[in-house]
Amino acid sequence: MRENSPRDPDGQDPGRQGHETVVRVTRGDLAQRALMERMRVRLLSVAGGFGVLFGAVGLKLTLATVLHPMAPAPRQIAPQVPRLPTNPADPKGLMADDLSLSHVRRATVTDRNGQILAISLPMAAVFANPLELMDPKDAAQKLKAILPTLDVDDVVRRLSGKKQFVYIAREIPPEKELAINDLGIPGIYFEPGEKRRYPLGRTAAQIMGAVDVDDHGVAGVERYFDHRLTSDSKPLRLSLDVRVQAVVRDELAAAKTEFQAIGACAIVMDVRTGEVVAMVSLPDYDANLFNHATDDQRFNRAVTGMYEPGSTFKLQTAAMALQDNVAHVWDRFSTIPIHVGRYTISDMKTDHFAPWLSMPEVMAYSSNPAAAHIALDVGAKRQQDWLRAMGFFARVPIELPEAGHPIIPSVARWGQSTVMTVGFGHGVAEPPLAIVRGTAAAANGGVLVKPTLIARPEPAETQDDRQASTLFSPAGAATPAGGYQDVSAHLPLSDGPASRDNSDVVGGEAEIVPEGPKLLSDANSLLLRKMLRLVVTKGIGKSAEVPGYFVGGKTGTAEKVGARGGYLKHVNISAFTGIFPMNTPRYAVYVMLDSPMATKATHGWTTAAWNAAPTVAKIVARIGPMLSLFPAADTAAIDAALDIPMQPATPSGARELGPGNDPGDPHDEARSRQHVATRHDAKPDLERLRQTISWRDAHPARRDASDGSLKTSRDASGSLKTSRDASDGSLKTSRDASR
Amino acid sequence: MISGRRLLRAPARGPLARLGRINWLYVLLICLLGGVGYAALYSAGGGAPQPYALPQTIRFGVGVLMMLTLAMLPPRLLMRLAWPLYGLSLVLLGLVLHVGHVGKGAERWIVIGGVQLQPSEFAKIALVLVLAAYFHRIRWERLANPLFLLPPAAMVLLPVALVLKEPNLGTGAITGLVGLSLFAAAGMRLWQMVALALPLPVLARLAYAHLHDYQRARITTFLHPEQDHLGAGYNIIQSKIALGSGGLWGQGYLHGTQGQLNFLPEKQTDFIFTMIAEEFGLVGGLSVIGLLVLLVLGGMLMALRARSQFGRLLALGIAMNFFLYCAVNLSMVMGVIPVGGVPLPLVSYGSSAMLTVMFGFGLLLSVYVHRDERLEARDPDGL
Repeated sequence: MRENSPRDPDGQDPGRQGHETVVRVTRGDLAQRALMERMRVRLLSVAGGFGVLFGAVGLKLTLATVLHPMAPAPRQIAPQVPRLPTNPADPKGLMADDLSLSHVRRATVTDRNGQILAISLPMAAVFANPLELMDPKDAAQKLKAILPTLDVDDVVRRLSGKKQFVYIAREIPPEKELAINDLGIPGIYFEPGEKRRYPLGRTAAQIMGAVDVDDHGVAGVERYFDHRLTSDSKPLRLSLDVRVQAVVRDELAAAKTEFQAIGACAIVMDVRTGEVVAMVSLPDYDANLFNHATDDQRFNRAVTGMYEPGSTFKLQTAAMALQDNVAHVWDRFSTIPIHVGRYTISDMKTDHFAPWLSMPEVMAYSSNPAAAHIALDVGAKRQQDWLRAMGFFARVPIELPEAGHPIIPSVARWGQSTVMTVGFGHGVAEPPLAIVRGTAAAANGGVLVKPTLIARPEPAETQDDRQASTLFSPAGAATPAGGYQDVSAHLPLSDGPASRDNSDVVGGEAEIVPEGPKLLSDANSLLLRKMLRLVVTKGIGKSAEVPGYFVGGKTGTAEKVGARGGYLKHVNISAFTGIFPMNTPRYAVYVMLDSPMATKATHGWTTAAWNAAPTVAKIVARIGPMLSLFPAADTAAIDAALDIPMQPATPSGARELGPGNDPGDPHDEARSRQHVATRHDAKPDLERLRQTISWRDAHPARRDASDGSLKTSRDASGSLKTSRDASDGSLKTSRDASR
Repeated sequence: MISGRRLLRAPARGPLARLGRINWLYVLLICLLGGVGYAALYSAGGGAPQPYALPQTIRFGVGVLMMLTLAMLPPRLLMRLAWPLYGLSLVLLGLVLHVGHVGKGAERWIVIGGVQLQPSEFAKIALVLVLAAYFHRIRWERLANPLFLLPPAAMVLLPVALVLKEPNLGTGAITGLVGLSLFAAAGMRLWQMVALALPLPVLARLAYAHLHDYQRARITTFLHPEQDHLGAGYNIIQSKIALGSGGLWGQGYLHGTQGQLNFLPEKQTDFIFTMIAEEFGLVGGLSVIGLLVLLVLGGMLMALRARSQFGRLLALGIAMNFFLYCAVNLSMVMGVIPVGGVPLPLVSYGSSAMLTVMFGFGLLLSVYVHRDERLEARDPDGL
């Protein structure tokens, strides 16, 4: 084609000059030219349209980025944004008050200092609607990358079914939930849930209990406070102190190992408030693995276990005698073995005992017959009333569903033998916490406090204070260092019956006054404190002493009851109930070892003085500073204040009990008759009592020596003769020495 | 028509001479867009060449070689290949329905010799070729008669129907629109367009009734994204938030929170523009759009510059295809149209769109290289 462009018809382009030869425009060319022109218009308009559309896109981009940027909706980002602590004093949210997680249903449980004991963590369950899934295989493989434990074949099989709901995995943590969500697989959904965790594992495992798969409490605090934990999101603050709890568990486990005990139990309780600061039962388990724990591990010996208190109970016998004015501290009691039917009440190391012991001596050396005599002086009625008032007849009030009912003889058949055996802690079985409670009541001024696992509210304290000092009591908080010495220095301790109850005067404005029924006078409580201290300073509990802490306490060893009901001669329950400091009682420390073995260090003994008492000492030495109690510097003054003579002098005008004046003498004819009448009735009461051969207690009983040694009557001073009337089984003890 | 100036030049014969006639400015623009893609994929990979940026660059290199090779081919040959290629594309589309790999709920892929192929992409190019060849032979005047529009309509509807059956709504619509644009450019009358547009609402209702659930969800989501902010509306809301967080200058390269923290779904493929806009802001986004505009209008200019009807229509179809890719993707990430799985060409990660676009650009350059050659319509008087 040789033709000019329509736009330069004259061929004026210089570059073309001289080259054009023919200019012939055909019709077809014209048509072609017209076509091209029309196409040019259309193409240009299309290009224009492109430009407009791109302009619109640009405008939209301007809107989206600058003019009307879209911010994430709060509800959209809420699940991804952690709730930040708002307390400026605690930016990291370490304290309990910030642990009320809004997106879990069950409240956190903390110890008294805010340490987490139980917390619910948000967890999700992944499920799928197979009908919405596009490719089950692909989905399963993608999920496998995030959930390595997934069985792909199984999941594919289940996802290929016709169901509309298939669980893929449960309890996946939030980061995996996010990762799965990021996969963006249609038909994969999440079901929010939570998982109860116990970060401290074994610490306080039995107290915490557990929740079932539906998050309902099934044991321990979780069960007792089930409603509270699900209805109030605020953390539940327990009275426990995990530091003390850990120390107690540590020492108890060491003792259990050392003495090869099959079980052990320890309690630390504030004697003024009843707050349980530590409660350990061994063997224990990881609270996160409740379902794998054995029954023995779940068993909380402190509240569920029923053990004969042994001579720990002599404290109660002394207390009721003093309070009921039956006996006085200067009275003396016979240690001569008592025969009851086929059985004999006797002591082991009788050669060390004088035939008549004063009340402090009875406590310090723990004489069974003497305690039995005191109990006989008190009598069945007053004994029952006292024990009932002390809470020994009822389930110990503690916030644990496991708390068991004590085993006590029938009141209707509470015969003389029952009076005597109960007098030194046999024939009844009580949970350790009840023993601690009773001992605390004797020492704290006579007030029966209610044991509790809930921390007292601290009205005056702010969180900052609590952070600054880990002190418990307001009194201690007022003088963090050495508060205890300061307090003890001006204690008005005295021997006289008119001495003030020092538990009322300690600490000034913030003093904690024990709440509960007052069962003992201040004077009698002080006497009991001194006697408990005497046990440690001069009696059989010397191994419980911790310098500067003025530990007082009482041993208690009971023979275990075997499977067939009889006592196991060589298998003991060894316990020591300590209180410290004895001048201003603050804490009761109880340690019990179940079936301890003798070691070289104990010279073959398995009684409480050799294993439980030293364990209490170790615990006190470690937890004292934690509880902001420090060894007193000026011990002499306190020692003097707590001193009590082994044989207190009888005040003029008073007729002391003793040889020739023993209303509790079972040999007394009237009482003997009464006893004969009741003894048979008592039989069915307590199966174990009937089969008892003898009762032994806290003083050392050698394993090898114990056999056959118990039934020997003693001819103390050569003038005592004890005989047994075998025909009717009645109890007869003749005492010539006093006559 | 050939101006006298062009008579001075001999038609380009040797390959080197033809290489010289390539529009290298256009090639530079293409490479610039490829560079944008590399940078964006580097960021999408968390600031690393793997797993996205490096493989994509290799594909891009292969694509450039293919493009330059295609640029050497004369349009005459291309026209001759149009029908066989079209036939092949239909066969492949049929094949993918039977042996295709299911990806994200649709059968779209077939693997040939280890290479993943998306026949619907290939079909678009083949359709452009065959329509250009058809209209090259039909005079403008004849198109006033609707009968002459029926054969090309069938050529369009056949692959569109197959693509929709996969189902791939986005590509099906783009294919249809590309075909329609060629109709318009080739001489379809205005009244014909109006007549075609009238039954569209009815057709849309019918189509909606036959949509898959997930496709309907996309449309519902598009209309009311807030109703389902964690489900199907999640993508578009996250994308909008990302755009908003970019602002004027962006959050900085590799520092886009929505993208780097994985809130942005499919950030290496469909939503890569969002990521660019989040990290470089409005300025960066408009720059990328500017580059796309240059490429589209450059294609249009080449179409205008071509002497043959076939060349013009071919160039237009290629430019239209590229434009539709960009427009659909950009509108989608900004929430203007429903989410449809259309990548941003040369930037998004993936081989199919990349190779298709480069193939198209190769044809475009071929048209430009041979812009002055005249193609005889073998049947100038029509069928």
